[in-house]
Amino acid sequence: MSEAPDLPEAEAFAAEHALGVLDARERAEAEMRMARDPAFAADVDAWRRRLAPMLDSIESVTAPQGVWTRIEAMLPANDNGAVMNKLRFWRNAAVGGFALAAASLAGVVVQVTQPPVTVEAPASAPGQLLNASLTATSGQPQPLFVAAYDPDRKALIITSLLPPGADRDKVNQLWLIAGQDKPRSLGLIEPGKAKVIALPLEVMARMSAGAKLAVSIEPEGGSKDPNGPSGPIIGLGELSSL
Amino acid sequence: MAAGATTSDNLSQLMARIASGEREALRQLYQATSAKLFGVCLRILSDREESEDVLQDVYVTIWRRADRFDSSRASVMTWLSTIARNRAIDRLRARGPLAYAGSIEGMEIPDGADSAETLLSAADDRNKLHGCLSQLDDRTEKVIRTAFFEGVTYEALARSMDAPVGTVKSWIRRGLAKLKGCLQS
Repeated sequence: MSEAPDLPEAEAFAAEHALGVLDARERAEAEMRMARDPAFAADVDAWRRRLAPMLDSIESVTAPQGVWTRIEAMLPANDNGAVMNKLRFWRNAAVGGFALAAASLAGVVVQVTQPPVTVEAPASAPGQLLNASLTATSGQPQPLFVAAYDPDRKALIITSLLPPGADRDKVNQLWLIAGQDKPRSLGLIEPGKAKVIALPLEVMARMSAGAKLAVSIEPEGGSKDPNGPSGPIIGLGELSSL
Repeated sequence: MAAGATTSDNLSQLMARIASGEREALRQLYQATSAKLFGVCLRILSDREESEDVLQDVYVTIWRRADRFDSSRASVMTWLSTIARNRAIDRLRARGPLAYAGSIEGMEIPDGADSAETLLSAADDRNKLHGCLSQLDDRTEKVIRTAFFEGVTYEALARSMDAPVGTVKSWIRRGLAKLKGCLQS
């Protein structure tokens, strides 16, 4: 075979992911990149297609009778499950008309297009950089949101990996669940967008490794329940230092 | 195997019905594809019990995620077998970091003998990939096949081959680049 030019770095990484040689950390990185970068995802898909014929050579083996019975028993009673149905409904809903009830968030949520937020606070802001990948609570643990807490910016940067577009009366609400506290709303998130959420000091004090972030589906304006989410949790993740 | 349920059009239709929550469609998909996917799990795990668990998990995943299937990105069989392979490799890795760093010399590779039941992409694709893989030098072909079937990381490959990680990485990257060139030609 004649010498082939090296693959560009991004494609080589995509090919390695499709092949399966990456370690756990690199795999997670590749998965996140796939969710964010359509060109990279297309490279991974193309490599999966290229390599998949290797599986053709594997002999089919009839699975024992009992397996299907067990699968059937594991299917959620109400078919695809309330959360995923809601998610699907919401994903398939008409694009546009998404009324972000930012007003109700009392200025907590700031669009990423605006200049970085400054919050008056003592210079000795606590904490370290923390990250969380909020994965789907049902089915494959696919990341749905990626969050980074930056104590220097006194902000949480959250990126929704869901496709843009939503129905008119459902929103995604982000929650911090720290220690024994009841879930605390950090604001609403728009699908497919990144957002910088300025955090008051009292919230920053709760941002520590092990605290959890969750996203629920809520009626317009967010949960009316003072104790936390009123709708289903679709994504959940734990804050950890890199 | 249900007659006529194995063409890719029919599989795509089944996927759409599964996405809308039709259990009967999942049962038909299972009938049409489970032997292939069970074979994939067994090939990777070499353990019937674990393979049954993974197979079960794969179809429950398909049930929940059928709406994510995008026929413009992959054929149904590629999508299904990628899920099965990834789940089986996850299970393999869960056994521990050393469990899958087995000897590369000891690997047995079926060489793509024709099977009437083959459901994956056309035999042409398989033969072409097989031909291109066999044009690589033996060592590179082996590491690529091992990585694919066992989900072995660079680190584990390097350890089992007693070679630096960087060297193994460059063998594989160069091999993949050649493979792509060959498949395109």
